Amino acid sequence: MKRKILINLIGILLAFLIGAIVMLIQGKDPILAYASLFEYSLGKKFVYTLNKSVPLVLTGLSATVAFASGPVNLGQPGQLLIGALFAVIGGLYLKLPPFLMIPALLLLAMIGGALWSGIAALCKHFFRMSEFITTLMLNMIADFLTLWAISYPLFEKDANHPQTPPIATAAWMPEWGNLSSSVLVMVIAFGIIWWVMNRTTAGYEWRISGQNSLFSRLGGVNVSKNYVLVMLLTGALAGLAGGLVLMAGPHRFIKDMGANYAWDGIMIAMVANSGVFLTLIFGLFFAVLQTGATGMQLTALVPRELIQVLQAVIVLIVVAGRGYFETLFARREARRKMKGLAK
Amino acid sequence: MKIIIGLINGMLTSATPILLAALGGSVTYYAGIFNIAMEGMMLGGAFFAALGSYYFQSWVVGILFAILGALVMALIFILFAVVLKMDEFITGIGLNLLSLGLTTYLVRQIDMPVTEIVPIPRIHIPGLEQVPVVGEILSGHNLVVYLTLLAVIIIHYLVFKTRYGLRLRASGYNRTCLDTSGVSANRIRVSSLLICGVLCGLAGAFLSLGVVEGFTQGMSAGKGWISLAAVILVSGSPVGIAFISLIFGFTDGLGLFLQQDLPPQFTAMVPYIATLVALFVYSMRLKKKFNA
Amino acid sequence: MTEMVKIFPPSLVALDHVSVTFREGEIHAIVGENGAGKSTLMKILYGMQPADSGDILLKGKPARFTDPGEAIANGIGMVHQEILLIPEYTIWQNVVLGLEPVKFPNRLDVKKARQQVRAKIDEFHFNLDPDAKVEDISVAARQKVEILKLLFRNVSVLIMDEPTSVLTPQEIPQLFSELKRLRDNGHTILFISHHLDEVLELSDRITVLRKGKFIGTLDAAKATKANLAQMMVGREVIFESLRLPQQPGNLVFEITDLKYTDSDKRLKLSDINLKVHSGEIVGIAGVEGNGQLELVNAIMGLVEPQTGSIRCSDVDITRLPILEKRRKVAFVSQDRANMGACTPAKITENVIMTHHRLGKRFTRAAGTVLDYRQAVAFTGEVRQMFDVQMTNGEAPFKSLSGGNQQKIILGRELLLTAPFILLDQPTRGLDVGSIEYVHRQIIAMRSSMRGMLLISADLEELFRLSDRLLVMHRGRIVADLRTESTNINEIGYLMLEGKAYEA
Repeated sequence: MKRKILINLIGILLAFLIGAIVMLIQGKDPILAYASLFEYSLGKKFVYTLNKSVPLVLTGLSATVAFASGPVNLGQPGQLLIGALFAVIGGLYLKLPPFLMIPALLLLAMIGGALWSGIAALCKHFFRMSEFITTLMLNMIADFLTLWAISYPLFEKDANHPQTPPIATAAWMPEWGNLSSSVLVMVIAFGIIWWVMNRTTAGYEWRISGQNSLFSRLGGVNVSKNYVLVMLLTGALAGLAGGLVLMAGPHRFIKDMGANYAWDGIMIAMVANSGVFLTLIFGLFFAVLQTGATGMQLTALVPRELIQVLQAVIVLIVVAGRGYFETLFARREARRKMKGLAK
Repeated sequence: MKIIIGLINGMLTSATPILLAALGGSVTYYAGIFNIAMEGMMLGGAFFAALGSYYFQSWVVGILFAILGALVMALIFILFAVVLKMDEFITGIGLNLLSLGLTTYLVRQIDMPVTEIVPIPRIHIPGLEQVPVVGEILSGHNLVVYLTLLAVIIIHYLVFKTRYGLRLRASGYNRTCLDTSGVSANRIRVSSLLICGVLCGLAGAFLSLGVVEGFTQGMSAGKGWISLAAVILVSGSPVGIAFISLIFGFTDGLGLFLQQDLPPQFTAMVPYIATLVALFVYSMRLKKKFNA
Repeated sequence: MTEMVKIFPPSLVALDHVSVTFREGEIHAIVGENGAGKSTLMKILYGMQPADSGDILLKGKPARFTDPGEAIANGIGMVHQEILLIPEYTIWQNVVLGLEPVKFPNRLDVKKARQQVRAKIDEFHFNLDPDAKVEDISVAARQKVEILKLLFRNVSVLIMDEPTSVLTPQEIPQLFSELKRLRDNGHTILFISHHLDEVLELSDRITVLRKGKFIGTLDAAKATKANLAQMMVGREVIFESLRLPQQPGNLVFEITDLKYTDSDKRLKLSDINLKVHSGEIVGIAGVEGNGQLELVNAIMGLVEPQTGSIRCSDVDITRLPILEKRRKVAFVSQDRANMGACTPAKITENVIMTHHRLGKRFTRAAGTVLDYRQAVAFTGEVRQMFDVQMTNGEAPFKSLSGGNQQKIILGRELLLTAPFILLDQPTRGLDVGSIEYVHRQIIAMRSSMRGMLLISADLEELFRLSDRLLVMHRGRIVADLRTESTNINEIGYLMLEGKAYEA
């Protein structure tokens, strides 16, 4: 356990080192940059960090549950967009009091996401089309579909960019100070997912199927039914992320709204190595980086886009490091054993 | 007639980057690498092509830069997937996102006005150009289009007729067998990734110095993924890839053509839908074979 | 080779200060039980695995190869247990791979390559067609191709890792005469085996390893089966049949007219008819690849047969969902890592598979929530009843040794209390102690009147356990004999020819 934490930390530090080198090449001060990054995101803007973590953790959980259970669902970007689209439609046309409006829209967002992942699931179930490519293609299609929706049928009159009118205020996620209640939704979703994966029969079957599908099939597990279930659940999670982004943020669908979150979710799931708890941790960590990027840009004049590079480097180094260090430790143990033999 | 010629020319333009990247994917496919990094290599190539063309005011340098940039991406893939033995899938995703982040970061740093970028020239074949219809179809394309046709032939020859090809395919079938035959499978894998880098770099150069002039964020727009689908659909065969890329290119050209009647967002979806349809047809063929 | 130590991480010592001397131009057998370190020793010599310490002297000079290519360049070649060829390539392509003649520019010189290969085939009187695809030729021919490939590289030392394990009894003499001819040509042959008859017949000298330690080297002429066996296991081996006479009970399992054609329209199973009664063990013998895998898959529901039916205690289970089948059928697979267990998962999670659906004990709230306390308790029960050596159920399954893994799987499947048990090579890859344990458990199940179908490649095992023996050949059952009324030679002939020996 300690070793695992250590390996993750070493990976992150190495990635920061690489980021520092990039900054030095550009004549920027890396220490100032990192200090302002953390000061900003963990200090006065900590609440924003929490708000930011909502879509990251949710799409991360979506990818984690999928990868841990087998399906290579890379469709979070598209599922997030369709979820947001469903939420905005509900927000524009439903007339309900807030205590019904918010759950109704969240449900709609989840249905939207599940519908989009469901298309890929059906393609696999009936036609054996690999979800890995279909979800990617559906991402691009969702991109253009939502762009069309906000450019034509849902277009706000006289707007300069493609965007919808604002949704009913009853559907705005309440805020306590600056803290959005979407954080609460995220925490609940995390709790449910953790419980499902670790305590239920379904979660047990999903995890075992993810590691060895043939074995669980022979053990009597209905693998193809579980596959569809997992796809729908993970689509719903990504859709929920989309709904929350919209309802807690701009309160309308604007162009390029979810552009980055969902791929971040896939990256988070990869560094978290399909662990539900680690997904939460890395989701928060990525939120710290992304929120702090603004601070870094303001104080150290390092462009915020550097964080995108840093995130990818973290994924590569942490994942590679995990494999590398594990063989290293195993080899060291072997050497110790040999010394024991020599005596 | 004009419409058909326009469609064919549009088809060639759309097919070229997909075809180039897919040929790169084909080489790594035969080497037994699950390489999904074409998207990132292409994007890196596109950025560096614009950069080289802008700084040196030369499309030749642009192409060289594109290839170098994509090769750097390939080297990163090699470092993680071959040297550190990391999962190829994760490496690929990580590399694609690294490429996206890095090019976005750099393009915000470096201002490259479109007007100051030197594009790759179109080649007008003397004599042929004057022939009606045929001339209009065959002549006047971007240099890279012709290079791509050449690449199909070269890659086909390389994979099936040469010593390198025999070893390359052996690496894909059974690495240990190749290793015990006295040829390092890792070296073959590395070389295949480098070839893939060169081809993806060229594809990127075509995007930013051919189709349009200048680099925009995320301009590869899933073309690398479509090329991956093409590779899977024909199990790597270079000639099959050429054929399927042309179909994709045709649907893309068709999309542009349909723009008169449909909103642009729908026509832009066409290549992705076409990929899904192609996958569907492929799956049905497999299924039929299975049930028969 | 002197003082070899090899340690597999994390804790298995594979070789412990082993020193052996091989002479030029001899056939030198290396014998030992599974896990004695035979293959590891050879892989070190061949450069496939690094030794942790120790030296290799080749003709007096120190040598240590970091990869097989180096070993081959120094005249040492190895033929592996699992044959390392590319099935999609032709024989000549396989043989020349790595040494291909080329023309400008890098173009394969096909004509020259084929000529070279043909010349080698003729030189050693191997009856092979260089243009045949490897996937189309027999296992024995593939082995020849492997040897040819090494000879093409002018190898003088040939390491053969259990070459007879993939051959039928009738194919073995031909291999032996080829190996002897090679020795007479001056080649050195290192021959790994655990079949003592073969070793005594073929080799000049014999080295015995036991549990990673060197026991001794002796001249074959002076060795006997009994003293070799004693050196191998460290004690006298007694082959006694554990099977007591017992009257079989009711019919529990029956296959009628089963036919299966795979996706490439190849007929894999046809006219399969068999019956298993309670308290009866029915053995299926056959060369691997004669339909056993497909039969197992059809019974378990991994593939759907075109015609025929599988019935278990009067219920047609042919097309039932796998979970429903599992109420009737317990299954011990030969492939522990892929079919028998989920190796990265916890031991507990492996133990409760199938039980979690069939046994009410493990779930609450109408089967939706797992009861981990019950799962842990059940793991403890299996551990005690089946004498599993393990620390606790939280450890990953792969941390267990092969024997203990199989005990966990046996425990899980036998406690399902299904009336019928399908045993697919249940002792594959186990050490002698574990094999004996598994055999005793199987016999105990027989005593408690369960019906069993035992598929095995090990004739000794089949003769030891089965009441009746069926022989599979090319997807058909070609013989159904009482164990008492047949012998190993008859079964061997049936396995190979698919029909009874006609004098």
